[in-house]
Amino acid sequence: MKIIISLLLLLGLLQVVQAQKLVSKNSHIWFTAGTSLEDIEGHNRLVVSILDPATGDLAFNLLVKSFDFKAALLQEHFNENYMESDKYPKSSFKGKITNAGSINFKKDGMYPAEVSGDLTIHNVTKPVTTKGTIEVKGGTVTAKAEFFVKPSDYSITIPAVVGDKIAKEVEITVDASYSPN
Amino acid sequence: MMKTKYRYILAFVILALLAAVLVWKYTFRKSDISVASQKADVEIAASKLLQAFETDENAANALYLDKIVLVSGIVESISEDSLGVSVYLKESDAVGGVICSFDKSAIDVSMAKKGLPLSIKGICTGYLMDVVLNKCSLESGVKN
Repeated sequence: MKIIISLLLLLGLLQVVQAQKLVSKNSHIWFTAGTSLEDIEGHNRLVVSILDPATGDLAFNLLVKSFDFKAALLQEHFNENYMESDKYPKSSFKGKITNAGSINFKKDGMYPAEVSGDLTIHNVTKPVTTKGTIEVKGGTVTAKAEFFVKPSDYSITIPAVVGDKIAKEVEITVDASYSPN
Repeated sequence: MMKTKYRYILAFVILALLAAVLVWKYTFRKSDISVASQKADVEIAASKLLQAFETDENAANALYLDKIVLVSGIVESISEDSLGVSVYLKESDAVGGVICSFDKSAIDVSMAKKGLPLSIKGICTGYLMDVVLNKCSLESGVKN
């Protein structure tokens, strides 16, 4: 009897652990939009991300103003002219790791991941699909992905004068580490 | 006669050089030097800042966004990665807090200890799960 009860308890405990969502408050997202004429790179180290290993649900939320640039002028242009961060302070992604079933979040290893969902930038939401990796190492889960977006898809207009300096497609890199709580 | 002409030319060249240097400095000024050396626009307790954002995010955005804010609070955790350090200020009974991001060079990590009070100056960039301060520096001469 005792064994059955402890087994049931253990089972319950396992479910609680399984149901626990992974939260990261300092995920790193950066983009490069430079051309051979100018180097443009912005880093945001304060991205909030929630990953549910059980369902594969994945969400990112960030403040546009938290993007850092080497030069202050670039940062001003980014916020004021392109992202209009006073009007639209946040960007987000809400989606799923579609192959979450084949990832064992309890076992160390490197797993390929397929992600799709809705990306909201500059108050415009578009579907996005990309491939990435999930690395599990000693209880820490790290998710990485890279993908491209076109500023024009998100109603961000780049004046012709600087058109040669800004890439037509912006490369976005995501690096999120979730520590166990 | 010739002398005055040369003087004008010299003055013009010097002015032009000065203007060029100023424009250069403005265009390529570093984005993060400023915060540490500038005076804070607002001084507030971390818990009060959080409260302002929890009650009315839009109103708080209008008050604090892009401002240099000096917060004081209790250190809940310190996390370090290859790029920087973030210090999380939080009251033990609160759900959220104030998360402060530092460049590696901007903080002596030994100054921040879990459970102890700390004053941090940074640019407020908004509110997600916590209030976010970016480009932070430690305020020396911590007041309790």
